[in-house]
Amino acid sequence: MSRLFRLFAVIVLTSMAVSAQAAPPASVRLPDYTSTTLANGATVLLMPRHDVPMIAASIMVRGGALADTAGKEGTASLLADLLEKGAGDRNALQFAQTVDGAGGSLGVASSRDAIVANAQFLAKDSGLMLTLLGDALLRPRLDPAEFDKLKQRAIDGIASAKDGDARMLIRNYMNTWLFQQHPYARPAEGDQTSLATIRLDDLKHFRSQQMGGDRLIIAIVGDFDPAVVGKQVEATFGGWAKASGSLPQVSTAPMQTGRRVLLVDKPGATQTYFALANIGTRHGDPAEAAQNVVQTVFGGRFTSMINTALRIKSGLSYGASSMLERPRTAGAAAILSYTKTDSTQAAIDLAITTLDQLHKEPLPADAIGSAKQYIAGQFAPSLETAPQLAAELARMTLYGDTREQVDGYLGRVVAATPEQVNAARAVFPTSANLAIVAIGDAANIRKLMQAYGPVTEMKLSDPRYSP
Amino acid sequence: MRILPYVLACALTLGTVSLPAYAATPAAVPGSQAIVSKTLPNGLQIIVWPDHDIPNANFYTFYKVGSRNEYPGITGLAHFFEHMMFNGTSRRKPGEFDRIMEAAGGSNNASTSNDRTVYTDWFPSSALDTIFDLEADRIAHLSFDDKVIESERGVVYSERRSSVDNQPFGSLMEQMQATAFTAHPYQFPTIGYPSDIERWTKADLQQFFKTYYAPNNAVLVIAGDVQPEQVFALADKYLSPIPRQPTPREITTIEPEQHGERRLVLERPDAQTATVAFAYHSGTNEGGKDTPALALMSTILAQGVSSRLHQRLVEQEQAAVDAGTFVDNGYNPGLLWVYAALPPGGDPAKVEALLDDELAKLVRDGVTPAEMEKARNLKLSAFWRGMATINGKAQALGDYQTFYGDYRKVFDAPAAYAAVSAADIQALAKKILRKSNRTVGWVQPVAATATPTQASKEATP
Repeated sequence: MSRLFRLFAVIVLTSMAVSAQAAPPASVRLPDYTSTTLANGATVLLMPRHDVPMIAASIMVRGGALADTAGKEGTASLLADLLEKGAGDRNALQFAQTVDGAGGSLGVASSRDAIVANAQFLAKDSGLMLTLLGDALLRPRLDPAEFDKLKQRAIDGIASAKDGDARMLIRNYMNTWLFQQHPYARPAEGDQTSLATIRLDDLKHFRSQQMGGDRLIIAIVGDFDPAVVGKQVEATFGGWAKASGSLPQVSTAPMQTGRRVLLVDKPGATQTYFALANIGTRHGDPAEAAQNVVQTVFGGRFTSMINTALRIKSGLSYGASSMLERPRTAGAAAILSYTKTDSTQAAIDLAITTLDQLHKEPLPADAIGSAKQYIAGQFAPSLETAPQLAAELARMTLYGDTREQVDGYLGRVVAATPEQVNAARAVFPTSANLAIVAIGDAANIRKLMQAYGPVTEMKLSDPRYSP
Repeated sequence: MRILPYVLACALTLGTVSLPAYAATPAAVPGSQAIVSKTLPNGLQIIVWPDHDIPNANFYTFYKVGSRNEYPGITGLAHFFEHMMFNGTSRRKPGEFDRIMEAAGGSNNASTSNDRTVYTDWFPSSALDTIFDLEADRIAHLSFDDKVIESERGVVYSERRSSVDNQPFGSLMEQMQATAFTAHPYQFPTIGYPSDIERWTKADLQQFFKTYYAPNNAVLVIAGDVQPEQVFALADKYLSPIPRQPTPREITTIEPEQHGERRLVLERPDAQTATVAFAYHSGTNEGGKDTPALALMSTILAQGVSSRLHQRLVEQEQAAVDAGTFVDNGYNPGLLWVYAALPPGGDPAKVEALLDDELAKLVRDGVTPAEMEKARNLKLSAFWRGMATINGKAQALGDYQTFYGDYRKVFDAPAAYAAVSAADIQALAKKILRKSNRTVGWVQPVAATATPTQASKEATP
């Protein structure tokens, strides 16, 4: 196997030799990679790894859903989908047959900050993979019939998803309810109303404004020869002209003061799904490591405070957690859980009590120590595979980070002092200031939800994620 | 490891020409020669794959027990038991297992299916001793606290509400499984029926533990940054003292052949969209001789945008937003599922006719050489993706040991797919894709009525 991470195998053995107390690795370093910039401004990151005969690519085109015109949310997302529906000399079916026929995978989607193409192929098909990615990004056919189908399917797909797991759905409602007028409120994939207004010309306009060589980040990881693949990448993407528009700029969303409640009616539901949220933190926050220790203790693992309260001790829910989202400007900090309809109030009250407890009592030293060990012990598997590493390299570049962001992460976690960790509790809101969302049977929970703040009600079947 | 390109060349050749000479050539996965296996005197089989790529390891325990071992009154008990395995021993209070593991940098999960209950720990290799201590303790000294049993009923019922009751497709699958199987215990939902979740007793749990949680009914797999001799020494210390138990009673019921299509409609006021699903008796157990052909058939029907069902139902007819298949086999023959999710206002009868037409085409005309090559390549990619992580490696070894009887057979998987011919797939399609061999289920949205809601009828756990 590769010599990757051998460094910390040595560190661990050494520490075991001198101390009876075994400890997880103190650092996880990214494997070596090269970074170059093409003449058109594209960044190319190459990381060869020969553990399995496969190659992975993660390509980002900066811009993404934040560049959608207001009211036409989902433009970047539809464009991303359409890029795969015929490109170069292949129509939609031929393109799919070529990807599947080689046993490959290739998908394009839009996040808030970028259109992202991820692909993984057998190593012998590296040339084919780059050709297909190049065709999709530089030479999409943008076929009107394919566009019409995709648009209708996107609209229908949202209705279908609303019959699915509410644990997934609630995040869309939480974002619209928390961020309101701020661009982070917009669902990247649009909603049934906004998608209906989008025309093919909107996609073409978006593409000329927001896609181009200067926006490109290309990360390739796997079993390849960097000299050969580097040349192919340059030949494929080096000629792409610059985007003509400017990158979307986003200000920081205002904090929610006081409480307000969105009740999403799902008639007949036997369970209520809820989120308690406010604005939290951003990418690059200097307190990131300390905040992650707090997140781990409060709601980021099985024995967390919130899961202990709602699941382990009370049996009110199968699961309760907290989350910190870190986009370019401050994102959501939230508690998420669910419980049977009858215990809606008991569960929300307990979540609020647990949040109060977080702010009232400093975190015990043993909880902080345990969380640090947990973060260290779980970090390496997040950077184990070629697709994981390619995504990480692209993400680092998107945010302007250096490898120190990864290589130094566990060191910063270890170095966070109890004072810093306890100060970082402030990343979670106080219970007085919450945007609250509940999806459930309104007939049974409408009255009790009024106890948490002024209630706005909508139906799950409404064609938007906001009232 | 420079043998890779050579191995890959062989495997890919298999994708285009099916030559029996290759069928005996196992895929050479770098590092696989270091795999070591040993069986303790108490019957516990241990398989170790040392892999030092990352400083982590895992600990997978596969117990050969699932909802297949249940009967009316205790449906869902295997899954509930999975929850109880985290809830205290005579040496450690409820919650200590997770607290100690997380403080050592580890995390865990578990899953229950028709056939098996699988417990997994993921941890930095520095925590190996702690993991052995915790795992041995819960097998040797599990305790059942009355209060915890009651609390855990609520947790499991909440899990049921999310995965079955509040998801129309989850409810449909439960009903179809109960319809497709009339004799075999695969008719029971793994999560359990609500009345059983509420009523099983501590005595049921104790009996279940004694019967099935024995070292001779389990396989332990560890992959990652460990040395086999270190693992075996810890196993001798922690696991060898646990006594062997009598072999559990075999499940001998064979589902009688189905003669005639069965149909059901699930009316849901909470659904906006309809679903159509078919469940065919697959006729083969996992690891049986038709397994590779069935997997390739399922792949050709439904994997990828170029697959038959997606192209016909989603792209050409635009009658569905999603169409797919999956195979659910175990120690006994299970089901081949075919389904389509409809858009709002979609016509289930039309979608059913389209699915019928596509399946009939497969039976009538078979598959093309290009489809065969595609399906084998997709399987080959999936194989290597599994081999890219210590988690995938441990899962693969455990799956092949418990279902195929030998972990080494995992390396024959690419060759096994290569040995399947187009004629094999057509013959299999003819054998199982018969209306008289299936259950058809629809989810149909209906208008909400003024009758009491489900919530008010629900008993309090």
